[in-house]
Amino acid sequence: MTGPRGVGIGWRPEIAGFVAELPGLQFVEVIAEAVPTAGPPPDALVELRQRGVTVVPHGVRLSLGGAEPVEPARVAHLAAVAELLAAPLVSEHIAFVRAGGVEAGHLLPLPRTREAVDAVCANVARAQAELPVPIALEPIAALFDWPDDELDEAAFLSEILARTDALLLLDIANVHANARNRGTDPLALLDRLPLERVAYLHVAGGAEQGGFYHDTHTDPVPPPVLELLAELCARRRPPAVLLERDGHYPPAAELRAELDAVAAATGFPLVT
Amino acid sequence: MSALPAGDPNATDHRPSTPDAHRPADGSLASRQAALVAALVAGGPPPPGFAPAPLAAARAALLRKRAGEVARHWPLLAAALGPSWPATFMAWAGDRPTGGGLRDGWDLARALQARRALPALGADELAVREATFRYDADEPPRRRRSPAVGRAGGAVAVQLAGRVRLIRPAR
Repeated sequence: MTGPRGVGIGWRPEIAGFVAELPGLQFVEVIAEAVPTAGPPPDALVELRQRGVTVVPHGVRLSLGGAEPVEPARVAHLAAVAELLAAPLVSEHIAFVRAGGVEAGHLLPLPRTREAVDAVCANVARAQAELPVPIALEPIAALFDWPDDELDEAAFLSEILARTDALLLLDIANVHANARNRGTDPLALLDRLPLERVAYLHVAGGAEQGGFYHDTHTDPVPPPVLELLAELCARRRPPAVLLERDGHYPPAAELRAELDAVAAATGFPLVT
Repeated sequence: MSALPAGDPNATDHRPSTPDAHRPADGSLASRQAALVAALVAGGPPPPGFAPAPLAAARAALLRKRAGEVARHWPLLAAALGPSWPATFMAWAGDRPTGGGLRDGWDLARALQARRALPALGADELAVREATFRYDADEPPRRRRSPAVGRAGGAVAVQLAGRVRLIRPAR
């Protein structure tokens, strides 16, 4: 069980062949909800594990920020995937994805209030009680804010991390998106986050549309995100960084070039 | 917002039987979250105090993402509608919460068929699905255990012992 290190990529069935042929790869992430736990994991993941590649289950539907208690079956599934893949940690989001019995279909931001901090911390504690490994929490990109925020983003995140003792999964593209859409300074946020708690970074592509920066995961990583990634690593480089791509997959050469650009921005060895 | 990849095997299991999205807010986090989700995906009124433009952008982003997920489950339906796929899906889905990509596409294909607007390739895809799964639009689809015929818009598919063949395509 080695922790995430170096440049990784989000494993998706559509790019399993591409991922399998990356010679220097030491770390991937897999969407936890997509891994069945009734039988063996997908062959491609088993082969990566046999090569010594660390596989981190990344949950997207726990709804840790929901006012309701996290569903035990979802936590049990995440725990089972972690066991199945001998993962050193799991990750999830500081967000909610359903409320009042209705699925939002996406990660939604919380009000940055004491009540929301309490709700997240309670759910993280419920999850930690059942998980076999540590959990890293990822702040999301939000297109909107709630009208009654009591805390700024740095205070909100720092309080949750301090109270839960969770690790931080910092998505540098989300930091860029939020700063761009709120008109704030992304470096000011980085300066106030506990960077020593970062288990690994996310980086992903996005696009400007309708006056907003959308964190699409289906577009190339834009230069400002790579620059922010380099700025972060100049402050304190975390052990690993992972490229997320979730659709509109480019030709292999373009995806390799993107991984190389991430390696260049962070100073990690090339994996291609 | 972070993109949420498709592929959740449980995604078909969450359709609310009785959405309580329009209940009055009591100011608690739970009720405010419910009101926000209702506004974003179920045609509910915008909650007070939120800036309208960012909320509208989030609502549109949710729909676009959902259209992509449904297209992955129903590639022929999406391809047959071509450039009009996103608008067709969004017009239908705007105030319907998701039941997952498989069910959303299924419900849309049936709705299009009912108004004779289902393209031939979409009919072929629907006929194959109808022969493969039992789906009554209230409960998640269940794989059929006995032989079955699926029909949609002139397309006919037959399923025997789990093997499905499209024996007559729609035109």
